Amino acid sequence: MDRALFPDGVERCSFGKFALWMAFITAFFLFGLYAMIVIFAKGIVVTGLDNYFGFGLWITFDLAVIALGAGAFFTGFLKYILKIDQLKNIINLTVIVGFICYSGAMLVLTMDIGQPIRAWFGYWHPNVHSMLTEVIFCITCYCLVLVIEYVPLILEQKQLNKIPFLHHLAHNMHVNMALFAGIGAFLSTFHQGSLGGMYGVLIGRPYAFRDGFFIWPWTFFLFVLSAVGCGPIFTVLVCTFMEKLTGRKLVDYKTKALMGKIAGTMLTVYIFFKILDTWAWANNYLPSVGMTFDQMFYGVIYGKWLMFTEIILCGLVPAIMLITPSIRNNPTLLYTAGILDCIGITLNRYLFTVQAIAIPVLPFDNWQTYAPNWAEWATSGMIVAYGFLVMSLSYRYLPVFPQERAMNK
Amino acid sequence: MSGHAVKEFNITWGMVIDLDKCTGCGACMTACQVENNIAPMVDASNKLRTLSWMLVFEMSNKKAAPEAEIAYLPRPCMQCGNPACVPVCPVVATDKNEEGGIVSQIYPRCIGCRYCMAACPYHARYFNWEDPIFPKGMEKALSPNTSARPRGVVEKCNFCHTRLMKAKDKARQEGGNPEALADGAYMPACAEVCPTGAITFGDLKNPEHKVHELAKGENAFRLLEKLGLAPQVYYVSKREWVRKLGDNYAATGKAGAEKKHS
Amino acid sequence: MGLDRRGFVKLVVGGVAGTLFTPVIWQGLDDASIWSQNWGWIPRVPKGEVKAASALSKLCPAGCAVKVKTVGGQPFAVTGNTENPMSKGGVCPVCAGGAQLMYSPARVKSPMKKVGEGKYEAIKWEDAEAMLVEKLTPLKGQDGKIAAISGDETGTANEVLSAMLAGLGSTGYYVMPGEMFTASKGVKLMGGNGQPGFDIEGADLVLMIGADALDSWGATVANQKAFAATRPTGAEATAQFVYAGPVLNSTASVCDKFLAVPPTATTAFSLALANALITAGAVSSASDFGDYKALAAKYTAEVFEKATGLKAEVLKDLAAKIKAAKAPLVIAGASFGQGAGALDFVAGASLNVLLGRVGQKGGMTLLPAAPKAIASATDRENAKDAASFLASVATGKATPGALLIYEANPAYALPQAGDMAKAMGNIGFKVSFSTYMDETAALADLILPAPHPYERFDDAMNPYGVSKPTYLAGKPVVAKPVMDCKDPVDVLLAAAGKLGLSLGFDTYADVIKAKAKAVGADFDALANGGIWNGEPKGGSLSLGAAALAKAPAAKADDKAVALAPVSKLAYGTGSLATPPANLLVVRDTELLGKDLLVQMNAATAKKLGVASGNKVKLSAGTGEVKALVHVNEGVAADTVAMLLGFGRSAWDEFTKGKGDNVYKILTVSDEAGTGLKVWAGSTVTVAKI
Repeated sequence: MDRALFPDGVERCSFGKFALWMAFITAFFLFGLYAMIVIFAKGIVVTGLDNYFGFGLWITFDLAVIALGAGAFFTGFLKYILKIDQLKNIINLTVIVGFICYSGAMLVLTMDIGQPIRAWFGYWHPNVHSMLTEVIFCITCYCLVLVIEYVPLILEQKQLNKIPFLHHLAHNMHVNMALFAGIGAFLSTFHQGSLGGMYGVLIGRPYAFRDGFFIWPWTFFLFVLSAVGCGPIFTVLVCTFMEKLTGRKLVDYKTKALMGKIAGTMLTVYIFFKILDTWAWANNYLPSVGMTFDQMFYGVIYGKWLMFTEIILCGLVPAIMLITPSIRNNPTLLYTAGILDCIGITLNRYLFTVQAIAIPVLPFDNWQTYAPNWAEWATSGMIVAYGFLVMSLSYRYLPVFPQERAMNK
Repeated sequence: MSGHAVKEFNITWGMVIDLDKCTGCGACMTACQVENNIAPMVDASNKLRTLSWMLVFEMSNKKAAPEAEIAYLPRPCMQCGNPACVPVCPVVATDKNEEGGIVSQIYPRCIGCRYCMAACPYHARYFNWEDPIFPKGMEKALSPNTSARPRGVVEKCNFCHTRLMKAKDKARQEGGNPEALADGAYMPACAEVCPTGAITFGDLKNPEHKVHELAKGENAFRLLEKLGLAPQVYYVSKREWVRKLGDNYAATGKAGAEKKHS
Repeated sequence: MGLDRRGFVKLVVGGVAGTLFTPVIWQGLDDASIWSQNWGWIPRVPKGEVKAASALSKLCPAGCAVKVKTVGGQPFAVTGNTENPMSKGGVCPVCAGGAQLMYSPARVKSPMKKVGEGKYEAIKWEDAEAMLVEKLTPLKGQDGKIAAISGDETGTANEVLSAMLAGLGSTGYYVMPGEMFTASKGVKLMGGNGQPGFDIEGADLVLMIGADALDSWGATVANQKAFAATRPTGAEATAQFVYAGPVLNSTASVCDKFLAVPPTATTAFSLALANALITAGAVSSASDFGDYKALAAKYTAEVFEKATGLKAEVLKDLAAKIKAAKAPLVIAGASFGQGAGALDFVAGASLNVLLGRVGQKGGMTLLPAAPKAIASATDRENAKDAASFLASVATGKATPGALLIYEANPAYALPQAGDMAKAMGNIGFKVSFSTYMDETAALADLILPAPHPYERFDDAMNPYGVSKPTYLAGKPVVAKPVMDCKDPVDVLLAAAGKLGLSLGFDTYADVIKAKAKAVGADFDALANGGIWNGEPKGGSLSLGAAALAKAPAAKADDKAVALAPVSKLAYGTGSLATPPANLLVVRDTELLGKDLLVQMNAATAKKLGVASGNKVKLSAGTGEVKALVHVNEGVAADTVAMLLGFGRSAWDEFTKGKGDNVYKILTVSDEAGTGLKVWAGSTVTVAKI
């Protein structure tokens, strides 16, 4: 029915099937939307957040998707600045994934702040000392960059591209893409880092606080490295998932393996520094404020097993897997390593967001535990659903994959 | 890594709270709520959602009877000399930029991101999860000293800052020096009502104010001294177990903290 | 149409510039920030001139001398009165929220008449007052037909109430339980008369046996100020404070020593201490010293250890400290302010006699009876006890036709509260003069709303515990009460008039002014925050040996566990449910959601087979309460402690249905030889549910 809208030379499933798929996803989206309306109407009181846990699922989710969306800027940097041309096969996908991740994160943030109408105050009354001001500036600007990178893709939709003005607009934007990629890389490095910096400067929270270089705590660098250590492989996982769902080949394995190698290399560098950092923090910093490594953990919910899972099973192991060619070139192992990698980075974000503020620093205070409630899960699910919707529409109508036509003859 | 230093002022408003005199009666908590227009909470037992700018903690020496001892510790905002919260606020809704060193909290500016709450290890900052609901008619008995806050903004103790403004005005009208208020001319509500006078308030830098000497006493200590936040609230206790609960002493670390005074 | 690079750049730059230059964005942002700062439903703070008016804040039993701050005439906060020695600037936690209580959602808004089970109808004052007269008229002149219960310990309203009853031919004037009542009876048993007083200010060692003097006993603020004066911050303490009682409460938390004495063992504790002091050389010139010495000798170290669970060393140390002190003072009282009986008081007070501390600076004093404003009023020391009265109503021994309840809550705050509430059902016509819709008002046939303390005249003569005669009086802070209420005494005086009785006054204000004159005080000075003090009277006391001989030996019951009810002033009183602003002070180890927590130490929990967090049922007599267990090492051996003041069935959403009412499980027995009822040694059975 909508055949005319398909990209050139590729097949898509029937419109009915597609509509059914979209309706299924939309159900989740609408449930989350309902939760969002309740939250705007009644306030954040309807969530599971409280005075001890000002940050919870939403912030963890935001930081995780922003890290996973790092494939966009890093691939852009590698392709447009370092001219690794092979990445052109997957770069459109990274842009869409990035766009979804950042726009989704910003939507969640409108709910997460108590006064959404004042969200722009970060621009009007910036605090030069605050990592969060830096984050606000950079993620909003970078989201704009992602829009600018996504727009040409939309303009190249078969029917839209026939309009000369739009065709030329898209062409000109493509020509200048290197500039945007460079800006994007610059902005991303800073906000990925600043998100880590946000925790590293918390002088009142021994779990998160770190020394550093100039104004940047070590967590600044660790967060950038971990982001680029998982972003590329996350895009690969998304691609593979789409291939499985649609039954079509979209990106050749060589490109996927290259993305794996990129992620693996950065992950290895990251894990090396992460282990050093954790050692130094546990042995030097904690005793200086009178606390012990053991005091940083509690029960199962905030147990040591989480830290070891993050660093070893979901850090060291996938890093080794991804930098070892024989393992990397095995699809099952590549995807397994990718999944472990992404889980590890998500765990890292969770631990810094939630465990850091669960620990009682005052000796006569108690551990508290946090569990998100339906409102937080529903709205997070809404963003995932939003992502599926955007990606589904993009896949169906936009020329995202340059190799698709050739690979599916 | 740079970025953190104690901000110095000529006047430093501070407290010395005698933990050997606090009976945990709660008059300070009630007076604080009344002065600052904090709406009464129906489920006040959910301490994770209540607004308690002044909060009395119960400390225990964790021994079995008959050695069991308890102490009560009133905790206002520490108005830290090197605050954890001020540098992190993305919109400068909180700042330490006024003579006297009180850390401000500006409600119309706050966007409710709660980053400052994550930063504060004393849990002195509270979030308005909902709009304030006063029992019908009780909004007539609001204090003129503190504006009512909407939901979605952070709030905290500000040493009853309006009273400082009034004390300075009074000094100006009476021909005194607003920058050299007499001891007791300006007192937050908690210090004013305490039936045992456990809370002494004044300018830590002014030798004519009682807190000046009391803060230097041999049994005076500050909470979480080692973090380097330089709180302006001091505590005093003759009991060693109480003083030791004021900071963390890792098993492998030295016994007894270095004493640091402002 | 072609779009070359130049065109593209122009498009972009033009677009950005155009967007920035349109006022829409800037105006929109400005509007948005203004809206988000000025939502209409957020209350605005009042503006106006701020003044402070003196008031007598009788929200707590003793009454606080306060300054009520007003803005444009509207009260908004309460601070202490630095000039008044009863306050010295301090305020109790309940009075600190006094201004807000004027708008308590539990306030009775207008006179109410009962029209059905739990149903009330608002009526006009003239109809209410007519109804009052109409119901009392047929009962005139018949003793036992009209009764009154007063919950106010110190006001001259009591004189009006008792005189009115006397004039109507009734002797049925009763008072709610309290220390003042039992202590006066105790003093009589020691051969004296009058209300005892305790000079904490002048003592250098204060031993409180049960009496929670720094939180809920006596003139709490004055006591705390006296305590604080002996330990200036950063300097050496000039007096020692020791607390002996069942729970490590607020008072004990700041004392130099806490001795965990189970509630069934306070008499044994006092007499064992007497024995230790006598052994260490104490001698008294009292006539019954010989009998007393022989009696005390029975309380040996072994008896002490068995009864209290404390080591004999502890007693020796305490005796040595007391001996070394120059001005020791012993304050005996029930740990929750009522129900310990006169013998318990005598046992503790006799220590003052033994140490020669009666009538001395820093010792125990006796207050002369205050001059009356109404001659026919009952003397305070001849008051009768409301608990016994309602118990006889329950059994049918007493058959009053009408009950006037003045600022009291007997349906809630008497032991075996469930039975007491039921007993009230036997009385045909009940009138509650109450500011709040409390449990008693909820059972009354007629509710006549009383003004809030800042809306009325009131006074306080000799609040319990003061060391010398003390008189305070107050006038209203606001011209018009918030609700449609009338001063209960004005109403009673008018009703008395219509019943053919002339008490000589039209309003409570007149009565108070007359009282002040009789006392020799300047009413205007008092109403402006002043105080009148007199001199304690002289006189000696015996050691009360004859009465003490009848005290039962401390029984050791291994099966039941002793119940220590705990009174914490911030959480309210029997007649005042936790004020909304004080609810925040309640700890989550005391009340969690709708559950009250029962405190016990680890050893007791083990004995009872329960652990922290278990849900349990505590039963005694016909009552039972439910609670969650909390292990607390500050509770004496074989004792469970629970807070009074919860489990409200009336009032408002802040307190209704939260926790349970511990008064329900206090069991009453007769005290040997005194004719008094006691319930401080209640035991309970604890079962897991």
